[in-house]
Amino acid sequence: MEAAVLKGTQNGYELIFDDRAAMEDVFSTLEKLLDSLKTQTITSNKQISFDIMAGNRIITANDRQRLETVFANYDTFSIHKIVSDAITKEKAKSIKEQENVHVMARTIRNGQDVTVEGDVLFLGQIHQGGKLLVSGNIFVMGNVEGIIQAGFPNVENKFIIGDVRSAQQVRIGEQFAVMDDDMRAKINSRTIMYINDLHTLEFGELNELKQISPKFFNQIGGITNG
Amino acid sequence: MGKAYVITSGKGGVGKTTSTANIGTALAMMGKKVCLMDLDLGLRNLDVVLGLDNRIMYDIVDVADGRAKLAQALVKDKRFDDLLYLLPAAQNTDKDALNENQVMDIVEELKPEFDYVLIDCPAGIEQGFMNAIAGADSAIIVTTPEISAVRDADRVVGLLEQNPLQEQPQLIINRIRKHMMDDGSVMDIDEITHHLGVDLLGVIVDDDEVISTSNHGEPVVLDTDSLAGQGYRDIARRLEGESVPLMNLETETAKPGFWQRVTGWFKRS
Repeated sequence: MEAAVLKGTQNGYELIFDDRAAMEDVFSTLEKLLDSLKTQTITSNKQISFDIMAGNRIITANDRQRLETVFANYDTFSIHKIVSDAITKEKAKSIKEQENVHVMARTIRNGQDVTVEGDVLFLGQIHQGGKLLVSGNIFVMGNVEGIIQAGFPNVENKFIIGDVRSAQQVRIGEQFAVMDDDMRAKINSRTIMYINDLHTLEFGELNELKQISPKFFNQIGGITNG
Repeated sequence: MGKAYVITSGKGGVGKTTSTANIGTALAMMGKKVCLMDLDLGLRNLDVVLGLDNRIMYDIVDVADGRAKLAQALVKDKRFDDLLYLLPAAQNTDKDALNENQVMDIVEELKPEFDYVLIDCPAGIEQGFMNAIAGADSAIIVTTPEISAVRDADRVVGLLEQNPLQEQPQLIINRIRKHMMDDGSVMDIDEITHHLGVDLLGVIVDDDEVISTSNHGEPVVLDTDSLAGQGYRDIARRLEGESVPLMNLETETAKPGFWQRVTGWFKRS
């Protein structure tokens, strides 16, 4: 197999890179290929967009940039998308993290910011001045006297469930509530917090979760009756 | 080989220097060889509390910069034969005049010579704090029942968790006013200890004697009748590995004879 092959499909043109070939060979073959293609299509000015199939090879930011400079030499050719079947361990880990529910039992003290990817089941303690910043949802069973934020830094479709009456602040995405006495009077130990359609923080009851967000309810394993 | 303790709090004015002077003196009274190291550069007080301010020739910055040998800078407290020494802080520099390695070297040099090296940490969590914890094997955190002091102590415990010393930190709750704890206007001992999640080393009652004695350059532990002095003596014994029950704040005034007996026993040892 050549280092780079052109293939036509129903959806357009694909450039398939051999993932066992050296990247240098891929580039030189690609340039030859595009040159010959250019002479063949010289008469028509039709724009051709390629899907690049990289196979089991990770296309780094450098490679991507170099590909773009190669394609910039041809007026009528452009890259539609680059598809790679491989991902870095780091990326894979971050995907896994995001889908995990992390069980945390630690103490977060004054001045400490703890950032977590994914959901958190919190069993520990957050002291006044401590912050727990979570990209996903937070299920609180521990003692929160500091600040908790779900959907960090700005995702709104996240939930906080549990007793947060002793917290200083509760945040979801960019919305926040300061836990003063007025606020405390509105909630109980089984309150859920979420962002409503008007983009404001709202409180609901745990047994209304299914009505508030059927999607989230199913996602955390809620079973609909009947 | 001795052990180095850093006495720290985060917040200023909760009694770090007083505690350092008194625990050091109490240990010397028990026959231990103690070096008190003042790291509060620019605002040194430990020498004043001990009544040694007029005997300072060189300070810790002189030692670190090689202008004086360590032995030259150590100030001996004549009340305790050859047992209690002070390494004074510099008064004409700021906290950045030293770095962690210099402090570590000095502490390592002191440890073989002494049973205890007590490091008096400056308030705050900047370079001075980092210097003070760099050489220490363990930390003693001083707090008062005020919420601001407890909050800062919490921050310090967090920082010590990030830069762990060989041993877990221990807590001293200073300036306890029994009647305020009883009527719930301040946090009580259990609440503070539980909140911070640190082992309690001792409690010190609020006592006017602490101020009046230190104004004379005499640590309050030298006063056998003082309850605060008793608290510091108990702490010294706990550091030595004895198991001493926590001072019973309820009966403190009801049974003066009891304390008399304890201190009498203490003197013989």
